[in-house]
Amino acid sequence: MKNIKKLLFVLLLLPVACKKPTEDLKIVVDTNVIKYTALIHVTDASNPEVVLKSGTLSVSGDNADDIYEISGNKQLNISNGVIAIGPGPAAVPVAGKPETYSVQVKVPGYNTATKSITFTADQKQQVINVALSKTGSVNSNPVTQKPLPVYDAVGLNFTGTCSSRPDLVIRPSMYVFFRETGSGAAYQYLGYMESGNMTVTALEKGKTYDFQVTYDGQNYGTTQQINNESESLTINMGSAICNNF
Amino acid sequence: MKKLFLLPLLVFVLGKSSKAQNTDWRDQVTNQKSLHFNVGTQGVGAEFAYGVLPKMSLRLGANIIPVSADNVFSVSGFNSNSRMSANFSNIHLLADFIPFKSAPGFRLVGGAGYFINAKGKIAVQPKDNYTYGDIVLNNEEVGNLNMNVNWRGFAPYAGIGLLKPFSNRTFNVNLDLGTYFLKQPDANITASGILSGNTSQSAQLQQNLKGYRFLPVVQLNFNFRIQ
Repeated sequence: MKNIKKLLFVLLLLPVACKKPTEDLKIVVDTNVIKYTALIHVTDASNPEVVLKSGTLSVSGDNADDIYEISGNKQLNISNGVIAIGPGPAAVPVAGKPETYSVQVKVPGYNTATKSITFTADQKQQVINVALSKTGSVNSNPVTQKPLPVYDAVGLNFTGTCSSRPDLVIRPSMYVFFRETGSGAAYQYLGYMESGNMTVTALEKGKTYDFQVTYDGQNYGTTQQINNESESLTINMGSAICNNF
Repeated sequence: MKKLFLLPLLVFVLGKSSKAQNTDWRDQVTNQKSLHFNVGTQGVGAEFAYGVLPKMSLRLGANIIPVSADNVFSVSGFNSNSRMSANFSNIHLLADFIPFKSAPGFRLVGGAGYFINAKGKIAVQPKDNYTYGDIVLNNEEVGNLNMNVNWRGFAPYAGIGLLKPFSNRTFNVNLDLGTYFLKQPDANITASGILSGNTSQSAQLQQNLKGYRFLPVVQLNFNFRIQ
C-alpha cells in the first residue's frame, strides 16, 4: 500500500528537472533554548586587561537545579572570565514572580566572590560584572568597564556551522565579545546576538575585528573586516552545540 | 525508431476495432451526449461530453484527489517523521479531436483546467526527544517544519485518448493519457520551536520546486450514453 502511494506521488507530480524538493536545504537550528540569561563577566580588580583563564561558578537558591550554562550544560565553567547562565525552559520567570539566585565565583589565585542574580519576566539578558581581588589583597576598586566607541550602526549576521555536520546551520543566541585584530587587547563585551543577529555601533568601518563567543567553558571565534552596513560572519560552533542535534 | 512504427500500429488496431461496429463514424460523434465517471492519477471525477462537430466533442468536468503518505521524504540528519499530503481539485473543459477517419478510437485531447485547490505539503516532526546539553526538549520546544506548495490557477492540458469517445451501447470505457502544465508553484517553509529559522530557506525550496509543473494524467473513463 505504501509503495502504491509513493508511486501515486511520483505520477502526480512528475518533475521535469528531477530535482529533489529537499535538495540543498539544510536544517537550521536556533540555540535560544535558554531564553533568560545572565552574562557573568569576571575580571581582575587591579587590572581589567588581565584575562582570567579559568574558574568555576556555583549557584544556590530555591531552584538552583534549574540553572544551566547557556549551552544547556550543568557544568558551570568560566573561560576567559566569561560564563552565561540561565533557567531552563521548564523554569522561565513569570511576571510578578522574580527568581533570585546566589552565585559564587571561584578563580584560582583570587578571593571568592558572591553575587546575587535575579531573573525577571521582562528582562531576557543582563550583564553581571564581577571584579576579583587577588588572594591576600583587598578589592577596593569599583568595577569599571572601558566605554565602547560609537560609530555608524553595523548589522552583524552570524551563521554557526558544524565541521562534522555540513547539513546543519546554527543560529546562535549568545553574548559576543570583540577586539581589534592584532591589538593584543583583552576581549571587550560587544552585545547579545539573538538568533545570529545583532546591531552594534562600536565597530569602525575599514577595521578588522576578532569576535568571540564563550560557552561550555570554550571560546569560539571568527574574524571579519567591517566594510558594509551589514556583514555576514561564519563561526564554527564546536562540538558542545553541534553534538546536540 | 521502434516508436515510429508503434503509432501507426496503434491507429490501425484502434481503427480496426471501431470499424467492426460502426460504418459511419461521424454519426457517432455529432450531437452525442454521455456522462463520464473517471478514476486515475488526478483522482476521481465526472464529466459531461457532447459531440459538437463530426470530428470533435467537448468535455466539461471536475476532478478531486486528496492523498497523503507517511515518510515518503526524509530530511538528512534529522531524526524525524514526515507526512506528505496533496489536495488537488479542478474544473476543466477538454476538446477531443479525432484526426484519423480510419481510427475513431484515437483522439487528440486539448483544453485547460482551473485548479481551485492544488496544494502539497510535507510536514516534518521530530521523532524523538532532543537534548540541548543536559536539557531534554519536548516536541513543542523542538518544533516542527512544514514545506508548503501551491499550484492554484489555470493549467493547459494536452494528451491523447484511446478507445472511442461515444458508443452505440449504453456503456463504454475509454482511456486518457496526458498532462496538465501547472503554473510555477508558490512554495514556502513554516516552522516553530528551535526549527523556526528554517523559514529562511523558502527561496531555496521555491527554486527546487520550480520544475514541478507537469501533472500527468492516466485516467480510465466509464461512460454512460445519454439518449
